[in-house]
Amino acid sequence: MAYKSQIGTTITRKDAWDKVTGNAKYTGDFHFNESLHARVLTSPYAHARIKKIDTTKAENSKGIRTVITGNFSDILVGSMIADRPPIAKDKVRYFGEVVALVVADKEDEAQAAVELIKVEYEPLPVVNSIKDAIKENATLVHENFDSYAIPSKEVHHVANSNISNHVKIRKGNIENAWQTSDVIVEYEFNMPQADHLAMETRNAKCQISPDGTVDIYTSTQAPFGVKEQISTDYGIPEGKVVVHTPLVGGGFGGKASAAVEFLAYLASLAVGGKMVTIANTREEDISTSPSKLGAEGKVKLGATKDGKITGLECIYYINSGAYANTAPNMARAAATDCSGPYNIENIYCDSYCVYTNHTYATSFRGFGHGISTFGIEMAMHKLAKELGMDPLELRKINAIKEGDLSPTQSLMTLSNTGDLDKCISNLKNIMNWDAGNKITTDKGTIITKGVSCFWKTSSSPTDAGSGAVLICNKDGTINANFGVTEIGPGMKTTIAQIIAEKMKMDVNDIHVFMGVDTRITPKHWKTVASMSTFMVGNAAVSACEDLIRQIKEVASIALKCSAGDIEIENKRAFIKDDANQFVEFKDIAHGFKYKEGPSIHGELIGRGNYIAKHLLPLDFETGKGKSGVSWTVGAQGVEVEYNPEIHTYRLLRAITVIDVGKVINPKMAKGVIMGGMNMGFGLATREELVYDENAILEDTSIRTYKVMHFGEQPEYIVHFVETPQIDAPFGARGIGEHGILGIPAAFTDAIQQATGKEFHKIPILPEMIWKTVTGGKQ
Amino acid sequence: MIGFDFEYYKPNTVDQAVKLFNDLDSSGKAAIYYGGGSEFISMARVNTVYADAVIDIKEIEECNQYKMVGNDLVIGAGVTLTEIAEGDLFPPLTKAVKRIADHTMQGKITIGGNICGTIIYREAVLPFLVSDSRIVLANKYGQREELLRSIFDERLKLNKGEMVVKIIIPGEFLSLPYMHVKRTKNETIDYPLISMVALKNKGKIHMAFSGLGDYPFRSHNLEKFLNSDMFSKEEKIQQAVNSIENKINDSLSGSKEYKKFMLCNVLNTVLEDL
Repeated sequence: MAYKSQIGTTITRKDAWDKVTGNAKYTGDFHFNESLHARVLTSPYAHARIKKIDTTKAENSKGIRTVITGNFSDILVGSMIADRPPIAKDKVRYFGEVVALVVADKEDEAQAAVELIKVEYEPLPVVNSIKDAIKENATLVHENFDSYAIPSKEVHHVANSNISNHVKIRKGNIENAWQTSDVIVEYEFNMPQADHLAMETRNAKCQISPDGTVDIYTSTQAPFGVKEQISTDYGIPEGKVVVHTPLVGGGFGGKASAAVEFLAYLASLAVGGKMVTIANTREEDISTSPSKLGAEGKVKLGATKDGKITGLECIYYINSGAYANTAPNMARAAATDCSGPYNIENIYCDSYCVYTNHTYATSFRGFGHGISTFGIEMAMHKLAKELGMDPLELRKINAIKEGDLSPTQSLMTLSNTGDLDKCISNLKNIMNWDAGNKITTDKGTIITKGVSCFWKTSSSPTDAGSGAVLICNKDGTINANFGVTEIGPGMKTTIAQIIAEKMKMDVNDIHVFMGVDTRITPKHWKTVASMSTFMVGNAAVSACEDLIRQIKEVASIALKCSAGDIEIENKRAFIKDDANQFVEFKDIAHGFKYKEGPSIHGELIGRGNYIAKHLLPLDFETGKGKSGVSWTVGAQGVEVEYNPEIHTYRLLRAITVIDVGKVINPKMAKGVIMGGMNMGFGLATREELVYDENAILEDTSIRTYKVMHFGEQPEYIVHFVETPQIDAPFGARGIGEHGILGIPAAFTDAIQQATGKEFHKIPILPEMIWKTVTGGKQ
Repeated sequence: MIGFDFEYYKPNTVDQAVKLFNDLDSSGKAAIYYGGGSEFISMARVNTVYADAVIDIKEIEECNQYKMVGNDLVIGAGVTLTEIAEGDLFPPLTKAVKRIADHTMQGKITIGGNICGTIIYREAVLPFLVSDSRIVLANKYGQREELLRSIFDERLKLNKGEMVVKIIIPGEFLSLPYMHVKRTKNETIDYPLISMVALKNKGKIHMAFSGLGDYPFRSHNLEKFLNSDMFSKEEKIQQAVNSIENKINDSLSGSKEYKKFMLCNVLNTVLEDL
């Protein structure tokens, strides 16, 4: 039987049957009878001093094991800036912050006791916006910033301010750029905080065994990150912390750093190491656990009259909320790719990460690139209008290409970036672009087309790495173990396909360990940054090469030839020039036995690893450095139908053309891009954390916090361009986040064309359109 | 997860139900009547409602009727929104209930629960306010029948321990020309920015609203302007909006001014098309 390629073809996900039958198990599905339960009391104020906490009544309530407050532990956590007590101490900095934790035999007993805790607060002035945060003599969210440990070497705090990090990009000479510009445009924008709203709310269990082993069961994108954070922050030898992660019900970045895990650990510690379960309600998942960052920005763009961009000056303020978490790095990511996928020789960019008294933010799909994409793309629209030029033509003229330098002065190649020009051309065809962009229908509605391009790199640490281990079954099939968590996009299946392709065997003969157990699974940095296919795929390829080397070594003995004579395919090793002489994998997988009885070699175990190469931190003064191995580029289009009578709209069609390098699994790849596009529409049209004048979060449940619902989505079209990335497994680039990036700008462009007005804030709700178009009059 | 324990009762008759309420109340227990449970469960888990005991009325036959009795339509308090929509016996009611919550919840929410609930919109009441619908209530002293809108002021004015048994819609209102309009912030399924039911009865428009303010209402002042012969359409709309100006407020769904804009648009549609 001839071998059939296992990539570029749609293969049913490895987790499909379990998921469609309800047999799939998530963290919360593993019940331990002995487990105690924790519930938290959260702050009703956004900024207040904690004067007194009376837990007496709660402690005497039924089934209560203990009640702990911020006094239980002095340790501050935070992977970049250690600024956050897992339970608030002395003061609260956002509405919903944990102020006390109750451990009880049963969850309802814990909840009942929570209601009995009395806290006295002294309200403080709130920092309710980026403007509040950066004004002169602003109230400080962290008045003792200088006492914090700062694990990240790339944090540049501005003294006595709410600015936790400042990132600069200085490329070329911006003054010269303005002098050679025929046209200069400026665009200001505001993107509020939002929620990840993963289906599975964050939840964890922790147990501390008598020998000191800390077992944590958690829904995370970063089991190894949790292990390292708990180990480092609480001084536990790393090998004693074991993190177990089964299937994860969505993450979108919200589970990329430890949050409830700290509470589970402290709760278990407080009850002598007994197992404690903690699970967020939806309301807590929105208001207590971290959210998506907010941002404000200003972009100034110059060009010659033939459309060549001369310079870019931009300033971004990233609202990290009350604690820094990964936001300083997202401020950096927004800066490093601030040009969008365009060649701009003169760039002057400042990106600031600021504290406010809002829900603290963490990583979110796009990792800062959503902000820079919106800013540059909206400025590009304004520039095209000013120049009287087709917006896609303007993008083509300036599209990044081989030999250009990124804002951080990394050298671009076709391999490390892809073919944006081709993406734009294909988008034009699919959108029927030349047929015109504005149609008035018989009903009086207006149909318009909006566009955007995007690019994104990983913004990963310079030492981010992955590993993979392959072990064999006696029947010649392979068990694969690697550290990517299955958060939804089908990564376990994608990697299985890469292994199958490399081993030239059927993917059904590749069995994957669906979970991650940090004591037995080789590390993968984190399941983030659209890097799993690339990093784990490369580790898997290297593990296959190791396994193949061993197969050839044993087969060469069995077949009495040299290893160089051997080829493999369909679970057998054969002599290249005489395929009738072969040995089956099953006969060598656990050692080769001579017919007289003696055996050699033992089980074949393939091991492989990958570490990103040549990444460099940014130079603080110029921003020169390298923040990712490769970029993924693409172009997106949106068609909307606008009703000018009542200012509502319908989403008709949305298109993404993306250079993926090589498609491993077409349906899964389309699914992940569509998912991103759908989230993009959520941000563009409805998702927003709304705070009142006291910084109290108003939409804390999905009654009022709205996401895109099934049936509201437009028709989605996803088209792939394949320009291989040379150093990627079979050429496949990262695609996990990218679908979200250009949708808000493309949508806003469509609305701007339909209404003839400029918009500076998303989400764009019908009320905002009404106000913008009519000035807010009937 | 609900942080308190409560007793659960499922009586078979109205008499048993009201007696239970009375007995529980006498022994110092906070009791509530319970329909589909969607509101009680979702609010109890965030501790914004409390009860020592709930009295489930869904097994009571009288509360489960949904049929014509003579010329009139009778709807028991325990009938779900899905059942109402599927039976489709009072079209404006069908339209209104199909836009309350989502399909899953419509299978749980009862008509009595929606009208008596804590969530302020109570959109199912609108068709009853614009018709001469009657409501049957019961407590330990027995049953009474009232014109529904006469005891609906912001919400249903119930005496202590009183339960809704059923609603009766007189036959002559079942097939009148009507309109239902619901506009939201941006979604099909959401609380109303404005929810409106209008009937045309003997040439006169009756109209009730939810979403504009803190409670559903029917305004006779507004109807007076709309039904007047003295004004142009534009004047009618302006007068009508002015007449209920103080009932409209800012909310998460939209600002007062925006609601007024939508109201004008809705009134215009009604005047044009009904």
